[in-house]
This record gives sequence, structure tokens and C-alpha cells, in this order.
Amino acid sequence: MDAIVDNIRRGDRRSLARAMSLVDGVSDTSQALKDHLRRSTGKVPWWGFTGPPGVGKSTLIDALVDMLRRRGKRVGVVAIDPTSPLSDGALLGDRVRMMRHAEDGDVFIRSLATHHREGGLSDATIHCARLLELADYDPVLIETVGVGQNEVDVAPLADVCTVILAPGFGDDIQLTKAGLLEIADCVVVNKCDLPGSNRLLKEIHRELGGLPTAALAYEKDTKVDRAGDAAESTTDAVEIFGIEAKSGKNVEELLDTLFEMDAAARTPDERRRRNERRVLSEIRRGATVEYRRALEGELSGDGMAELLDTLQRGECSVESAVAQLVTKAADRVRQPEVSENDREPK
Amino acid sequence: MSTNTPKRILIGKVGLDGHDRGAKFLVRALRNAGYEVIYTGIRRTPEQIVRTAIDEDVDVIGLSLLSGAHNELFARVAQLIEEEQAEDIIMFAGGTIPDKDIPHLKSLGFRQVFTPGASLSEILSALKEELGGGE
Ligand SMILES: Nc1nc2c(ncn2[C@@H]2O[C@H](COP(=O)(O)OP(=O)(O)OP(=O)(O)O)[C@@H](O)[C@H]2O)c(=O)[nH]1
Ligand SMILES: [Mg+2]
Repeated sequence: MDAIVDNIRRGDRRSLARAMSLVDGVSDTSQALKDHLRRSTGKVPWWGFTGPPGVGKSTLIDALVDMLRRRGKRVGVVAIDPTSPLSDGALLGDRVRMMRHAEDGDVFIRSLATHHREGGLSDATIHCARLLELADYDPVLIETVGVGQNEVDVAPLADVCTVILAPGFGDDIQLTKAGLLEIADCVVVNKCDLPGSNRLLKEIHRELGGLPTAALAYEKDTKVDRAGDAAESTTDAVEIFGIEAKSGKNVEELLDTLFEMDAAARTPDERRRRNERRVLSEIRRGATVEYRRALEGELSGDGMAELLDTLQRGECSVESAVAQLVTKAADRVRQPEVSENDREPK
Repeated sequence: MSTNTPKRILIGKVGLDGHDRGAKFLVRALRNAGYEVIYTGIRRTPEQIVRTAIDEDVDVIGLSLLSGAHNELFARVAQLIEEEQAEDIIMFAGGTIPDKDIPHLKSLGFRQVFTPGASLSEILSALKEELGGGE
């Protein structure tokens, strides 16, 4: 394990890439490595990018990587795509949009599959981001899965969380329902070359309130009543941007804002707070996985038939059946089965 | 190592021709067969392919090319793989490759060479065999 860490610190790409595979699987070495990573990282802010499928997350990251390189940064990217529910296979296609950086030694892009996890990330995401930090990449950018459901798990990991939308993609009230806007430090409407972008910008603005940034007036004829809103503005108002990721229009301005948020996340107090939040989300994720597996085990176990019988005979209520099940599942978590093979609850 | 995660395959096209229908079909078929497929798109350089394969820690590189420059481009990929000491990555080649060139490509380290008539099941079973049972 120490050799792996040394090689990564020395800048050996292969060791870094293999360590990522290691933390993407289950083994004793990976456990030791994860522990080491947790202790030795936490200084670098992570930038999360989430939003519905096809809104331009990868295209935007590609543009940002380009600009970050011009500013002398070494950039790490973790991009997550969904595992097929049918085959366990996955099509990892985000980096097609980022291929111009493939030969740049100061850019490291890694694609991960969700391995059936919900929430827009995979279990390995946090470890891979830490590995990138260990290898001196700063900042680390994370692209979540775009499947249009609840991709909010990136929020506790990301120090700067950008939600990307585009005209024609899940606009209107759906946004608020999905809880996406709530997690945003920064909301970006991409594809402002397309019709409907202005309407979407206004809608978001109405939804979030607060002071619109100058960038909101993306089209020259947009009338934004700044004076009227100024009184309500707070320092932590969400930034709203209209951009064209493809041509790079307004992306430099977005990057400036991301850097401001990045700087705010670097103070020692903030780091402590945010690293705590990261670890908490790691614990929550781990506990949820363990508990769900145990619960599935109980539900498909022998005890279930008996419990159903008791229910049927009217000797217990559904509520008490639930309580029994919860207790049994918790017991199961306390005494995990040896078989590590069925990592995924079916 | 991580035995319960799917094998990873890079699929890419080198050279100048611009069709990706075949590659995209293959990519989906491989996903459906349980592989994690990293698709790089078309018109890639050997340098891009090899760097991507290393960063993504793939088990297999599957390259295709239709424009006839296979001898130089595939040789360059093989050379870069050797320079990176990454010969453990299995290489497959595909495309309009004349029979007479196949032995040469195999000597460069391409374990399988598929010509346009090759069926999907041929490719899948070759993969399974090379990866030791397919998992
Ligand atoms: N018109 C227009 N199209 C864009 C712009 N930015 C990206 N696109 C296009 O939008 C499509 C999707 O872009 P991606 O970057 O792959 O989107 P994504 O959100 O990463 O998609 P998933 O990862 O599949 O969810 C591509 O065809 C891009 O070329 C833009 O500014 N304007
Ligand atoms: Mg993408």
C-alpha cells in the first residue's frame, strides 16, 4: 500500500489509475488505501457538476479544463455514467467530449460506472477524488450521472456545486421537484444559443429570488430589474449564469465565480466543516448500503414466510411486523455474512 | 484485484475516416454483454488512445480503422503501449485489413484481428477467452 501511495505522489499515472480500480472494487488493500486517503487529503475543494442528461455537463467541463490549464492549474476529473440495470455493463461516454486533453499530462480524467447506486454518484467517487488530490490535481471536478432523477448526492461532496440546465431539458417546475436547485451554489443555463434559454433563466431567477448576476442578462434585450432585487440580496445568493459551453461564451466569467467560491472553501475553518460533511456523507452512504442489503436479506429470508403467516392469522399488525423486520435487519448488519460476492442488492 | 467489478474496454477509432456507426453498435453490444466500455470517439491519435487506456485502467483496447493506414497507426499504438510497459493490456484490431497484413499486426501484439465479416458473437467469445472466462 505504501508503495502505491509513493508512486502516486511521484506522479506515476499507471499507479494512480490502478489505485482507482482498486477503490472501485472490494479488497483488503482497497480498505487500507481508503483509510490512508481519508487521513491524508481534504485540502482541495471539489467542484461538482450535475443536471439532467444531455444538458452539456461534459462539454462545460471540457471548456473549464481548457481555461483552468491556461491559468496554470492541474485538473482532475471524475465522470460518472450509469451502469445498465440489465447487464452490469456501462457505457462511459463523458470523455468523448474531453478528448483534446487526453495528451495533457496535467489533466487526469477518470470515468466511473454507478454500479447500480442511485443519487448520481458511485461509491468510488469520493475515493477517486481523494486520489486525484493525492496526485496533486487541484481543483477536482466531478460530473454526476445525468439520468434526470435525484442526482443530489454530489452536494455534500462538492465544495462548489454547479447545477446545469438547458432549454428543453426538464425545465419548469420539475426542477424544484427534483430538488436540484436547492443544492446549487451556482445555476448555469447552457445552450443559450438556443431559443427558450431566456425564459428558462427568468424562471430560475423567479424560483431562486435574490440578486441576478450580470450574466443573467445574457441576451441584450433581457430586462432585469436589478435595483428592485438588490435590497433582498444576501452574500450567499446563488449565482445564475447563461452560457454556451460549446463556443465557450461566458464560461470564463463562470470560472471566475467558481474560483471565488473555491477560495471561500479553502479557509481552515471551512475545510474542517466541509471535510466533516464529506465523511458524514461517506458514513451515510456506507450505512445505507449495509442496511439495505441486510433488509433485502431479511425480506428474501426464511423468517419472512413465518412473519406473513402471523400477520395473516391476525396475531400481529403490519406495524409490528415492520418493527420486527427493522430489528432483524439491524442484527444482520451487526453480524455481516461472509459472502462478499453479492455486493449489489438485487 | 477487484474481481467483482466488470472488465473495462476502450473502444476507439484511429485514422481519418469519420464513420462511427459500427463502433457505436459495438460499444452498446459490449455494454449489454456486461463490460464497462470507455468510448473515445473517432479520429483519435495513437497517443490519445494509449494515454486514455492507461488513465482508465482498461483491460482491453479495441481499435478500429477503415482508411488503410493500419500498419503505421496500429504499430504506433503497440509501440506506445510497450514504452508505457503496459503490455498487460490486451489489444484487438478491426477494420478493412487485408489478410496479408494480419500476421504483421499479430506480431505487433494484437491478439485478435477482425475483418468486416466478423460477427458480434465471434468478437464476444474471443474477448471472453482472452479475459479468462469473461467473468
Ligand atoms: N447548441 C448547443 N449545444 C451544446 C452546447 N453545449 C453542449 N451542447 C451539445 O449538447 C449535447 C450533449 O452534451 P454533453 O456535454 O454530452 O451533455 P452531458 O450533460 O454531459 O450529457 P450526459 O453525460 O449524457 O448526461 C452535445 O451534442 C453537445 O454538443 C451549447 O452551448 N449549445
Ligand atoms: Mg456527460
